[in-house]
Amino acid sequence: MDDSTSETNNRKVVIVPCSGIGKTYGTVSREAAYEITETVRPEETQLVALSLLVLGDEAARAAVAANPAVTIDGCKLACATKMVQESGGEIAQDFAVLDVYRRYKQFKPKGIAELNEGGLQLAQALAGEVAAVVDEIQGGQHG
Amino acid sequence: MTDYLEVTVDKFIFRVAKDRLYNEEGVWARLEGGQVRIGLSDFLQQRSGDVAFAEVKPKGTELNFGDEVAVIETIKVDIALSSPVSGEVMKVNPAMEDAPEAINQSPYDEGWLAVIVASDWEADRSNLLDPEAYFARMKVEAENEVKK
Repeated sequence: MDDSTSETNNRKVVIVPCSGIGKTYGTVSREAAYEITETVRPEETQLVALSLLVLGDEAARAAVAANPAVTIDGCKLACATKMVQESGGEIAQDFAVLDVYRRYKQFKPKGIAELNEGGLQLAQALAGEVAAVVDEIQGGQHG
Repeated sequence: MTDYLEVTVDKFIFRVAKDRLYNEEGVWARLEGGQVRIGLSDFLQQRSGDVAFAEVKPKGTELNFGDEVAVIETIKVDIALSSPVSGEVMKVNPAMEDAPEAINQSPYDEGWLAVIVASDWEADRSNLLDPEAYFARMKVEAENEVKK
C-alpha cells in the first residue's frame, strides 16, 4: 500500500488489482492499477495490495471498508473482488482483464515480468476505463 | 439428455459427452441428419483456458478432414483447431463473435463452433475416436498435465 493509506477520510477510491504472479493478465491488472493511482488519478485513488487484505492488514482492511473500491481481476477466480467483499468493502465496479481485452483486441498482451507493447497499451486502456468509474464516483470533476 | 463419462484428476473434473465422436486433439463431431456439428471437448477447453477470441472459418468454406477450421485465443495460448469432418461450413455459431466464453461455459452445447455439411462422413468417422477411446486418451493427458 502507498503512503496515502492515512487519507481514507477523503473517500478516495480504492483500487485493488489481482496479485497473480507469473500470469500475463495479472501483470496487466497491476500495471493498470499503477497507471491509475500514480499517473491518471493519483489524487482520487489509493492502491491497496490484495496480499495485505489476505493477510488481514488492519490499515488495508480499514481503507477498503471506508471507501468505494474498484477491483481488477486477472482471471475468473476473481480473488480481488472476493477479498474486498470478505473485507467488508463496497465494490463500485469490478473489472476483468479478459473482458477489457475483448474490447481492445488490437492490444494483445504478452510477457509476465515485463509486458509487451500490447500489454502496456491494454493496461493504459484499462486505466482509462477505471478513471471513468472513478470520475463518476467522485462526481465527474474530470469529466 | 446427454450422458457423460466423467473423471476427476487432481481438483479438476472432466466430462466426455457420449453422443459424439472426437478427433485426437479433442474436437468433437456430432452427426445431425446430414450435417455435423463440431466443438471443443471439456478437457480441451479447460486445458486451453478462458477464451478471449474465436475465429471460425466462414460459411461456405470447403474443408478436408484435418484442415484448420478455427483458431481460438485464450489467456494461455493460441490454438489452431483441426476439422474432424470434411465438407462445407454451413453455419458458424454467432456466439463466437460476441460471447466466445460459451466455449468454456458450455463446451458441448451452447459453445459449439460450426455446423458442416459432411461430404464423406462414413470415411471421416473411421478416423475419429468413440467416446470411450477419447475418454481413455484424455484421462492420460490430464494426468500428465497435472504432473507438470
